[in-house]
Amino acid sequence: MRRLLAIVLTLLLAAAPARPASHTVVLVVGADSPVSEMDSVTVRKLFLGLPVLVNGRLLHPLRNRSDPLLDEIFFQQIVAMSQPSYDRQILIGVNRQGWLRPTEFYSEASVEAALTADPNAVSFMWQRDIGHNPGIRVIRVLWSD
Amino acid sequence: MRVSYLLIAGLLLCSPLARGDPWQYEFLFMPSAQAVGTFNRTAPITEIVPQVVQVDTLFSIQRGAFKLFGEYLLSDHEGDLERFQLGWQASQDTVIWIGRYHQPTSIWNHDHHHGQYLQTSISRPFLDEWEDLGGILPQHFTGMLIESSHQAFGSWRLRTAIAGGLAPILTPDGLEPFDLLHPDSKHHQVGFQARASLHPGEFTETGFGLLVATDELPTIGLAQPPLPGLDHVDLKLFGAFGIYAASDWSVLATWYHANTQLCSPIETINGSFGVGYVEAERRLPHDLTPFLRWEVSDNAGNNAYLKLFPMMTRQRDVVGLRWDFMPRQALTVQLSGTNTLEGHFSDIRIQWSAAFP
Repeated sequence: MRRLLAIVLTLLLAAAPARPASHTVVLVVGADSPVSEMDSVTVRKLFLGLPVLVNGRLLHPLRNRSDPLLDEIFFQQIVAMSQPSYDRQILIGVNRQGWLRPTEFYSEASVEAALTADPNAVSFMWQRDIGHNPGIRVIRVLWSD
Repeated sequence: MRVSYLLIAGLLLCSPLARGDPWQYEFLFMPSAQAVGTFNRTAPITEIVPQVVQVDTLFSIQRGAFKLFGEYLLSDHEGDLERFQLGWQASQDTVIWIGRYHQPTSIWNHDHHHGQYLQTSISRPFLDEWEDLGGILPQHFTGMLIESSHQAFGSWRLRTAIAGGLAPILTPDGLEPFDLLHPDSKHHQVGFQARASLHPGEFTETGFGLLVATDELPTIGLAQPPLPGLDHVDLKLFGAFGIYAASDWSVLATWYHANTQLCSPIETINGSFGVGYVEAERRLPHDLTPFLRWEVSDNAGNNAYLKLFPMMTRQRDVVGLRWDFMPRQALTVQLSGTNTLEGHFSDIRIQWSAAFP
């Protein structure tokens, strides 16, 4: 009976964190990043192309487009505007201030590589895809199912 | 040495300060093609060019907090380096530019610049018209521009822009700004501008503000000046503006009051005039945006300075429709009725505009 209880508990513990993590989008930076926290307004500014500085260093937003669902979450939760409005805001930023558009990546591997290479880079990804990558640090949860 | 070379050298000299940061760049091309037909015409001068094909090219090269930003306009009538600025992001909310900039007291030009795609109407308000198209107010300066944004009154934002730089000169062809590619600063004097506005949030365009500018505009080679021996014009501007920008409506209104002083060695003529406009835009289903603009002036017919500008518009009504028929491409048709100081005319315009990539 004890053995059976232990097996059931082990299975429950193993399964419980996996379910939310599989539908959670998190804000991530490289392990060497100076970023330790970031509020939602700053996240929005960053991905709208506005300058965001931490310790005097300009952060570089990386837009993760490896999954169509991430695109939806990006517009609904991160920048809080429709795709046409976002597109226009980005063009306005380039036109008025020479702001740079967030660099776009189309695979998780390329996002992870860019985060590892650039300590000032900030991106977002599915929590389940981070695994035990020591080169990636989670800053906050952006969206959870 | 040309100013443009100095700015490039400035970026290269500053880049070691951003050690560890990657070089980043951005390019944006905004082509457009426009045709204009005038009718019901009594004014001797209406449009300078009946059709225009142009490409507005923006580039931004950045390393760390330093940035080289430029705008080059190439059309079938001209090619000009409109903006060329070396910028330093001094803090998250403040950027300091040196170079050639669009003066911040023109609400329209400071927001839209030269790219046709990002403005809803085809033409800009006459008070914001570019110098080489008969504009009455200086728009391009070469000097320093500081732009800032700060929290104020709780969640409101106070946005400011102050600038000082070489102002245009007055020639028989109108105002002529300092040219970065063919620099000759011999006659240009320094002008100053400031603008401050309050906005209810960080991400909204909605807000209201005040602006002020002072310029000395030397005259060169005027054949028939309104004052014999005219040496220069002192121009002082005071203005106010308001913007309401919602998802389906936007309204922009501005009013400038200008004090003018025409100076010759023996005489001075003082005067003043007012100019302003209201533009309303409504976003409808199917990516259609109708718009209306009403431009007016006060005391324009009596002002000696405005006699230097034969295309000066006393009053203009504009109505049009824009259709964003696919992402980053739009077709626009616009109808205008214009009263200049010397007559009137109507015109119809059609335009294709786009932004790539």
